[in-house]
Amino acid sequence: MSSSSWLPVQLTSMAHNVDLLFYIMLGIITFFFVLVEVLLITFLIRYRRSAKNQVGVNVHGNNVLETVWTLIPALILVFMGAYSVRYVYEAQNPPAKPLVIEVIGHEWFWEFKYPNGLDTHNDLRIPAGQNVLFDIHSADVIHGFYIPEARIQQDALPGRITQFWVNVDAKDVGKQFQVPCDQFCGAGHPIMVGQMTVMSPDDFNTWMQTELQKQQAKS
Amino acid sequence: MEAVLQVPRRSFVREWVLTVDHKKIGIMYGVTALFFFLIGGLFALLVRTDLLSYKGVFDAQSYNEFFTMHATVMVFLVIIPMLMGAFANYLVPLQVGARDMAFPRMNALSYWLYFVGGITILLSMVYGMPDSGWTAYPPYSLTSQGPGMDFFVMAIHIVGLSSILGAINIIVTVHRMRAPGMTWNRLPLFVWSTLVTAYMQLFATPALAGAVTTLLLDRHFGTVFYDSSAGGDPMMYQHLFWFYSHPAVYIMILPAFGIISEVIPVFARKPIFGYHAIAYSSVAIGFLGFFVWAHHMFVAGMQMSAGIPFMISSLVIAVPTSVKIFNWLATMWRGAVEYTVPMMYASLGFIGSFIIGGFSGTIVAAVPLDMHLHDTYFVVAHIHYVLFGGAVMCIMAGIHFWFPKLTGRMYNEKLGYLGFWLYFIGTQVTFFPMHLVGLAGMPRRIASYAPIFQTWNQVATIGSYILGLGTIIILYNLMISAKYGRKVGHNPWHARTLEWTVSSPPPEHNFDEIPVVTDSPYRPYKPEELTASKESA
Repeated sequence: MSSSSWLPVQLTSMAHNVDLLFYIMLGIITFFFVLVEVLLITFLIRYRRSAKNQVGVNVHGNNVLETVWTLIPALILVFMGAYSVRYVYEAQNPPAKPLVIEVIGHEWFWEFKYPNGLDTHNDLRIPAGQNVLFDIHSADVIHGFYIPEARIQQDALPGRITQFWVNVDAKDVGKQFQVPCDQFCGAGHPIMVGQMTVMSPDDFNTWMQTELQKQQAKS
Repeated sequence: MEAVLQVPRRSFVREWVLTVDHKKIGIMYGVTALFFFLIGGLFALLVRTDLLSYKGVFDAQSYNEFFTMHATVMVFLVIIPMLMGAFANYLVPLQVGARDMAFPRMNALSYWLYFVGGITILLSMVYGMPDSGWTAYPPYSLTSQGPGMDFFVMAIHIVGLSSILGAINIIVTVHRMRAPGMTWNRLPLFVWSTLVTAYMQLFATPALAGAVTTLLLDRHFGTVFYDSSAGGDPMMYQHLFWFYSHPAVYIMILPAFGIISEVIPVFARKPIFGYHAIAYSSVAIGFLGFFVWAHHMFVAGMQMSAGIPFMISSLVIAVPTSVKIFNWLATMWRGAVEYTVPMMYASLGFIGSFIIGGFSGTIVAAVPLDMHLHDTYFVVAHIHYVLFGGAVMCIMAGIHFWFPKLTGRMYNEKLGYLGFWLYFIGTQVTFFPMHLVGLAGMPRRIASYAPIFQTWNQVATIGSYILGLGTIIILYNLMISAKYGRKVGHNPWHARTLEWTVSSPPPEHNFDEIPVVTDSPYRPYKPEELTASKESA
């Protein structure tokens, strides 16, 4: 498969976990998908009408079967739900002392505010191996802050702060990823794409300082 | 032998415009909904054409109007009115053994409200189309320029009112007007499913009215329901909207399930397997359908863990649906399956495609996976497998199944099969690739996109053209067959529900004498009765 049609690279250990959950669920549903399609096609072929006045057997139902095909899907689905719960809390609770980057959605660009006061447009840089927490909100309409490689997103709303955190693997230092807006926000929605660069912590700090100086010199 | 009462030929206005006959109103609903199906389909083709190139073919503003109109028309003017206006109207009184709906004039009113609502949407094509998506989330929908949003709000109000009136009619008809002997345990499964759906419409639609009314007040009357700078909260709209619009998904699929439950036993020549399980699972879906709405909002600003109860309810609602699937399969087991056009739509077309939408629903129901897939093309793939692979396949099964009843004539079978195969193949080619680009992270509702997604998007666009061709062939077939089709008797399929006991088309008051029901419509077939009834067929 080319990169255009399957899960993107895994940027964080959480992305790895989410993919694992996805593959487990995909495995289960593929089994049932094949089961249903095979039964459907088998019954269509095996029991096709061969004589004009042929009739089917006189069966109205079977309580044992009904119980089986109610309980088994129910158990599997509840298992899927219970298995997912762990990841929900993992994603929800930010780790202690993260680096906080403020994300503000605008029509139509992303604004990022770094701890030292640096302010960028569509240029997101994060240090690898550190816990980074995004404080997300919007200056106008609702946007969607989405990092496909981290398998996570939160809407950016006016008047409300949403959050998620990432901890990017060191192996991805130097790589760039796109950070699209995925909540419809008007004519500029498709071009509202930020660029995320993963840096080593040292490079990140240097970059933050020099950029801030440049910005201050300009103003 | 029979006294022939000479009825003078009535004018078109008397015959159709002023009619309160549920069958004529049903046909008017159906024809209007098919007209809007063409309009909604045209917008879908514009959307897909734009996506042929990653740069987009049209400008973003036009694209936004196209996808908004596509969804608005398909949801409010095609699928819901087709199922609950056309099918339920035509069939419910006949199937319960009544002469008409409980409130025939109100029935006509609900059609004409729908008609006016539809015209309102069409007018927006002249005066400026809404561009906010069918979800119309504020604050964007508040800032949306031009009268498009106002047309949208008005149309939703009018169509919503029509929906509520129609629902009341169905509820009262089923509860009060069943023929003697038509007990709940003999009620056709289509009637069961429309009854549950009518209750859902009655309870859910007011929430949507509240949502769009507050939207209108915020736009024009200075209120601040959704203005966060003044203490309002845009998320409140989403709660109201989805409190209607998630049940609406079941409103669009439950009557479709009902059609399948009628079609499969007739062509398998077998009693339906698990009658009670199918009927009660509709009730279960109707009930659970009100407790899953917030799964549309996992990333919308809720605390992530607040999504957990909604995740569980959304997974659990898959159980009654899978119960139905297994019962339909079991109905085909050891049957005598005939590959008619409606049976092809019901079996391969519906079961074969819809389960993909059901399964992908469990994926997006899981909160951690939805964190990735929300607002991507995966969701677009999911809903289209449910609504096209599901609802539209059932609608086509139903149209072909009851076509001889409506017209007294048979559709052209060759064209019927051709239409089916174009629909079946077109559905997979159009909607399956959307899963793939969605998993890879392509957001929905974008007029232009990253170049890596182009190949699959072009495949999907080709699929949509196949569906367009299929639609033309299907509608052409229905039109010519209504006039020139082979004449058939009152019951060409040897079906058992009451509408098949009267002539095709049925007389104005349905039954000369109200039937006394003594048995289930799903009793077993005997070979000798097939031969005996051949004369009348």
